[in-house]
Amino acid sequence: MNESSADVILRMSGIKKSFASVEVLHGVDFTLKRGEIHALIGENGAGKSTLIKCLGGIIRADEGTVQIDGQPAQIGGIEDAERYGISIIHQELSLVSHMTVAENIYLGHMPLKRGFIDNRAMEKNARVILDAVGLEKIAVSRECGELTVAQQQMVEIARALAAKTRIIVMDEPTASLTEREAERLFEIARRYRGEGISIIYISHKLEEIFKIADNITVLRDGWSVGAKKPSEVTYDGLVSMMVGREYTGHYPRSGYTGGEEALRVENFSSPKMFQNIGFTVHKGEVLGFYGLIGSGRTEVMRGIFGIDENASGEIYVGGKRVVISNPGDAIASGIALSPESRKEHGLILEQTVSFNVMLTVLKKFIKGISIDENYERQTLSAYIERLKIKLKSVFQPVKSLSGGNQQKIVLAKWLAASPDVLILDEPTRGIDVGAKHEIYQLITELARQGMAIVFISSELPEIMGLSDNIVVFHEGRQTGFVTRDKIHEATILRYAMGEVR
Amino acid sequence: MSDESGGMKIGRVGVVFRQSSPIFIFAGIFILMSIASPYFFAWRNFMNVLRQSAVIGILAMGQALVIMTAGIDLSVGSMMTLSGCLIATASTAWGLHPVIAVATGVSAATLVGLINGFLTAKVKLYDFIATLGTKTAIDGVALLITDGLPVSKIPPSITVIGGKAISAGIPIAAIVFALIAAAAIIILGYTTFGRNALAIGGNSEAARVSGVDITKTKIMAMAFCGLCSGIGGIVIVGRLNSANALMGTNMELNSIAAVVIGGTSINGGQGTMFGTIIGVLTMGVLQNGLELLNISSFWQKFILGLVIIAVVTLDTYRRKKLDADRR
Repeated sequence: MNESSADVILRMSGIKKSFASVEVLHGVDFTLKRGEIHALIGENGAGKSTLIKCLGGIIRADEGTVQIDGQPAQIGGIEDAERYGISIIHQELSLVSHMTVAENIYLGHMPLKRGFIDNRAMEKNARVILDAVGLEKIAVSRECGELTVAQQQMVEIARALAAKTRIIVMDEPTASLTEREAERLFEIARRYRGEGISIIYISHKLEEIFKIADNITVLRDGWSVGAKKPSEVTYDGLVSMMVGREYTGHYPRSGYTGGEEALRVENFSSPKMFQNIGFTVHKGEVLGFYGLIGSGRTEVMRGIFGIDENASGEIYVGGKRVVISNPGDAIASGIALSPESRKEHGLILEQTVSFNVMLTVLKKFIKGISIDENYERQTLSAYIERLKIKLKSVFQPVKSLSGGNQQKIVLAKWLAASPDVLILDEPTRGIDVGAKHEIYQLITELARQGMAIVFISSELPEIMGLSDNIVVFHEGRQTGFVTRDKIHEATILRYAMGEVR
Repeated sequence: MSDESGGMKIGRVGVVFRQSSPIFIFAGIFILMSIASPYFFAWRNFMNVLRQSAVIGILAMGQALVIMTAGIDLSVGSMMTLSGCLIATASTAWGLHPVIAVATGVSAATLVGLINGFLTAKVKLYDFIATLGTKTAIDGVALLITDGLPVSKIPPSITVIGGKAISAGIPIAAIVFALIAAAAIIILGYTTFGRNALAIGGNSEAARVSGVDITKTKIMAMAFCGLCSGIGGIVIVGRLNSANALMGTNMELNSIAAVVIGGTSINGGQGTMFGTIIGVLTMGVLQNGLELLNISSFWQKFILGLVIIAVVTLDTYRRKKLDADRR
């Protein structure tokens, strides 16, 4: 590589970090140039987040050196990182939802006048920055909790800019954005690159990386395995670097040709959320649900599962009408729902793997006052093996696992309930390519064994790759139904944009 | 990106009501009492309410700040008692100058607040447990200082603050409350400390990664709460014209009730000092009115309990609606 050292704004060398005597970074090198968008990729657990946390002063590296502008830099805390002009836009949005946009932008360093907060200056400056990131229509006095996810993301970027940042780290910024919103984000990123700001861009969506990155650094298992330009590698080549083996991106197929009716929903509505939804999923079928975020896919599933109390309509399981007024009824009818947000609805993070997996089957292994430990052990080991979950112990807290493994725990939990119908809401969101592929395999295998699967995703490639039939949503209405043989990207998108067939 | 919020659809009046239901509840009780009792709507009686509410109001200011950081302080009544007992004993039995006696009491309470802050923010104990511990310990200290007996004959230069009024019958205690309330409003609205406190309560991780010093902010909030309680101690010895180790009984719960009635979320991150003042006055007016109606103190307690439940239920419902409108 040919780089003059004047171009380099940040050089991290030999970064090592251990947590509780387990080394997660084994000496990572990373070089960032002025005014570039540099993608940092790798599977979950590869060490991206840890590296970024070291850079941002949230944790301290055990070994290694950091140079900024060619000078050695000591980053001991968040204040140091701020001083060097490093801002991190975290994956989990870190805004205080009850505070205003202006307050959030200046949180931690509000402008003062004679020792008191200068609200006027704060709001005025915030206005300028908001305009710059394309939030012209958002009042600075709005509470952040009222904004859409995309708008909140932009507020975070505004915050980084307000702090006179030279290096912005974006950790999975598009995870919950629609494609149009993501495009908008890229536009802004490119603009700031033009102004000499360097951006470290972390994403699992490799298509994006090819679109936006100037350079790519790949991490694997705590090592840096290479830095490339997008023009030098292919998609599969990049994945191979990440997973450390040859990769071909084919979707597994279940070979579904038709089966008995498993779940039928008719005239399903909920005020303000969705109207007149009706679909059928059969044994062995993977029924895809596609729609933009906010189109009502998730709400319908929550309705079927008895979480949304206002939903009404007819639900048939195995041809028999069932009344579901709470999730307990749904589980008893043989339906399982793996929810969209694993941290909010899927897992009790503080509790152990065992606790979480066994939650849906408590009745099966707690007999009166005695616990059937044998059953517990068997169930656990069966699912852990089947889902290839990497763990030290079933008694380790779920929050200590990587995103991909947490998602697998959610699946294990619902599989333990042995449902007839499994609803998976965004099961691959925020997890890496390797883990995604394992989840695809699992979905296909479950379908092959006769389980009916409803698969919700906002990623079109996986919906098209895995589904036998696809239901398309737009603003709470069912705008299209696409069968296997007619699956075509343009058709699906047209339905998703609201064009009714 | 367009502004797609649906939150603006509700009418103007709806917005005001939803954002400030405490003041409507206060007004409701106020009107009800004015109708029910001929003695209620009178200047003298209002001053009475202020005198009766001042102490709990002073404590509630500190409690509110702590609750906004998503904490809780169970020791406010005990810190007040400790301060009051120290002031009384120091200025009588120990023969200290009144100013020094007052300084001793207030600093002791502030010190306990600092200890609370240290235990919760540094040692990372749960607020509930840490302050329960300090509360129990300083209850003991107050008994030790006073030997379990009431202390009287406190110098008038001290008792004037809690016991006397200036012209037009305005109690000095109410002025002290007003000053502390003003300070609390400024702290919350116009200082970095206040905003940081709200940020921590709203989302402590977000605050942390924004460079907010969580430990320092929590300790400062607890210390402020101790300071308020200490000042409450000056006022209460004047009101009672004596001091005893049990005078703070239940005050921690009443202060929490006032904060909650004032619309502050017990989960932190949300609330105003103005709301808390309304909460204090709501409780004061309710108690005063019931007394004027000759309702026994047993029933008063019962009714106050129901009001707390009703207010919080209403508030929860209001927030739910507000959230639903935002979708």
